[in-house]
Amino acid sequence: MAKKLDKAEVRKALERKVTQTYRPLVPKTQLGFVHHNVDCIGCRACEIACKDKNGLLPGPRFRRVMYIEGGSFPDVYAYKVNMSCNHCAEPACLPTCPSGAIWKRADNGVVDIDSTLCIGCRRCEAACPYGAPQWDPQERIVKKCNMCIDELEAGRKPYCVMACMMRVLDIGPIEQLAAGTWKTTALGPGEKPVRQVKNMANPELTRPSIVFVPHSKGRVENK
Amino acid sequence: MKQALAAAILVLAVAIGFILWIAASMGPHAEFVPYVEPPPPSEKSYLQAAYNPLHFRPAIETADDAQCLACHREVLDDKVRTASPAGMRAGLMRVWYQQTPTYEGEQDTFHRRHLATPLAKQLMNLQCNACHLGHDPREEAQGAAADSISQADTAFTLRKQVNPETTCLKCHGQFPWQLMGLPGPWEEHKAAFGNNCQACHAAIRTKRHEVSYLNAAAIEQAGKDGADACYGCHGGRAWYRIAYPYARTPWPDMPAEVPEWAKQRPTQSEVRFLRPQEGKR
Repeated sequence: MAKKLDKAEVRKALERKVTQTYRPLVPKTQLGFVHHNVDCIGCRACEIACKDKNGLLPGPRFRRVMYIEGGSFPDVYAYKVNMSCNHCAEPACLPTCPSGAIWKRADNGVVDIDSTLCIGCRRCEAACPYGAPQWDPQERIVKKCNMCIDELEAGRKPYCVMACMMRVLDIGPIEQLAAGTWKTTALGPGEKPVRQVKNMANPELTRPSIVFVPHSKGRVENK
Repeated sequence: MKQALAAAILVLAVAIGFILWIAASMGPHAEFVPYVEPPPPSEKSYLQAAYNPLHFRPAIETADDAQCLACHREVLDDKVRTASPAGMRAGLMRVWYQQTPTYEGEQDTFHRRHLATPLAKQLMNLQCNACHLGHDPREEAQGAAADSISQADTAFTLRKQVNPETTCLKCHGQFPWQLMGLPGPWEEHKAAFGNNCQACHAAIRTKRHEVSYLNAAAIEQAGKDGADACYGCHGGRAWYRIAYPYARTPWPDMPAEVPEWAKQRPTQSEVRFLRPQEGKR
């Protein structure tokens, strides 16, 4: 026979539930991206490889290469900033999700999504400071980059990295990438990566796992 | 003798080539067709809509919601799916931040939760342009072309149509218990204060919420009815790991000495959000 419901205990349990807050998971290793803003030629092969791999119709783009140009002759400049999901240390999308579709992987820190659990409330899309969650208007669900987790588990790199003909996009443990100690083709000799470039949302919001080699015109003071 | 013959043949060949080339160039030519601007499309195209002046400063600063919703009806019309593709029913979902007494109603979309639900209408007065002040339709980035928005414009960020640091963070930042002199996070120590924000805030920072995107009087009443209403915005749904540096508007009996953390704080809210009477001061 079922135990009689202890109403006081239920009330306490509810109190505990109400006071609960999101505590970000600390993964064993946090993988992240590195992108060289100057050497990138903006061919968008990474974007297309990503769309191909994920079967995305026109509209949603997990990865986006942004062209930035300006100045006036002779002091003109052009560079690219390339971002997908930044697999933040403290992702804003994750706690907003009412269906538990988004989670952070304990081994490599990838912020993964099971879009079959999505109800299309689009909270994650709004909360992400970096525009990573993408609305699929056909299926009426949100999808996003999971760093090609199947490829990672097979010992390979994501499609975007493999498609980069200039080898300016790469992944690695973010702390080592940020320190410039990770061996990667995306970093030239003596280049020091930064955590933020001009017009990117403040990395203090969620601690995104991405570093850039910035253009001199895209550099942000003290970042 | 042979060399002279070869040279003569070569000269003859070149001369014949020239004659043929000149004859060919004098023959009939395709008619030169100058470029003519194509007629404008009879109905509005996607690009025309994307580059409508209403999407950019200065028009967007004064746009009213009716102008935005004339095209973006889905913002208020769209509802969540009744079930996820895997069959999880939206009506059965409740996550931790939806367990508070202030959270009511079915699962709803992000925009409707901020604009259309009863709590949103009671406590908030958000307009579309409170958050949306422009974007770049081509690259989702400032400085995408010579005629695009300047990199000095911080109304939005890369890949984003808003600047979350100046909009979302206002209500979804951390509870700054360290600055407030509390022993720890509110959710752990609220019992010590009787779960009542007004125990202290009846006298401290009493000039608050007086901005055009909030209903200050309704918020005060909700705060008196229960601290969960306060905590809902001030830490209860903290998606970001930093706190928002709110303007420190002077209140009656405010201590003359400004604490170290407040020295960089503004003393009034952004001008565009000031209510008319505050704007005149």
